[in-house]
Amino acid sequence: MARISAARRLIDDQEPPAAVKETAFGGGPPPGPPVQANAPVLNNAKLAVIMMLGAEAMFFAGLIGAFIVFRLAAEQWPPPFQPRLPVGVTGVNTLILLISAFTMHFSVRAVRAGDIGGSRRFLTVTAFLGTLFLAIQGFEWIKLVHFGLTVSSSVYGGLFYTLIGAHGAHVLGALVWLVVVYGQARKGRYTSKDYNGLQICGMYWTFVVALWPALYGLVYLY
Amino acid sequence: MQPFIVTALFALLASYFADLQSVQACAVCLTGADGSVADAYDWSVLFLMTTPYLVVGSIAGGLAYAYRRAAVKKAHDAAAEEAPIHLAWNQKESGR
Repeated sequence: MARISAARRLIDDQEPPAAVKETAFGGGPPPGPPVQANAPVLNNAKLAVIMMLGAEAMFFAGLIGAFIVFRLAAEQWPPPFQPRLPVGVTGVNTLILLISAFTMHFSVRAVRAGDIGGSRRFLTVTAFLGTLFLAIQGFEWIKLVHFGLTVSSSVYGGLFYTLIGAHGAHVLGALVWLVVVYGQARKGRYTSKDYNGLQICGMYWTFVVALWPALYGLVYLY
Repeated sequence: MQPFIVTALFALLASYFADLQSVQACAVCLTGADGSVADAYDWSVLFLMTTPYLVVGSIAGGLAYAYRRAAVKKAHDAAAEEAPIHLAWNQKESGR
């Protein structure tokens, strides 16, 4: 009540005090330009993931370098009395993993467009495809072990399990990350303005998927 | 005679009688310059030599692209900010 009467006095009855008048009706220099946030082009998390992917690329380059040495030096490849790798099934598996890269991309695109539910659905499909890839790989590995291809059976077996196993471990890690991101998405962590966590997970997933065709071509087809 | 010269002469003499095949320092040199193993090592070394350049080049290219795109977007936003709207900020300009 007191406030209303004070305001009425200011408006109707009397001349407002100088300080109020100056603040309300002008005075002083004109306002400056609006303050703009100096946001970095790439945030730290994204930069860190890019660096990590560079290190991962070098790690796989080392393994591929070792494979090249043994593959090119061998008179016969695969070596005699060693089982042949399942090229057809793994080809289908490659397609499954490639499709998962697209679903991951669609998930990021959906959250950018504000479709949070759609983004979650695409994340689920991506996680399903990743799990399917790992399951088929595991199934094929069990068959290969039964056929006698083990880490210690030959250089061929050692290289196969090291290279493909390292990739499988990365897919598993990416899958765990994906599940964590899905949990965050369910809690409403991501919006169309803030979806960094989802985006960096997508970067890692894309790397893991992009690496696979190179490994498939080198280990299974070459 | 200086001990250094004696040692050097002894080493020279020993190297003359040594079996050269057994003192190869590099495991790859055992097969000679030719052969599939040497070729394999050559290709592997070439691959490992080029990969860091490709990786670092890709990252640098990606960063340059991101910064250039951000600069273009900032310039576009700044142009949009300069809209021909002037808001009266004092009583005199408001005309009341």
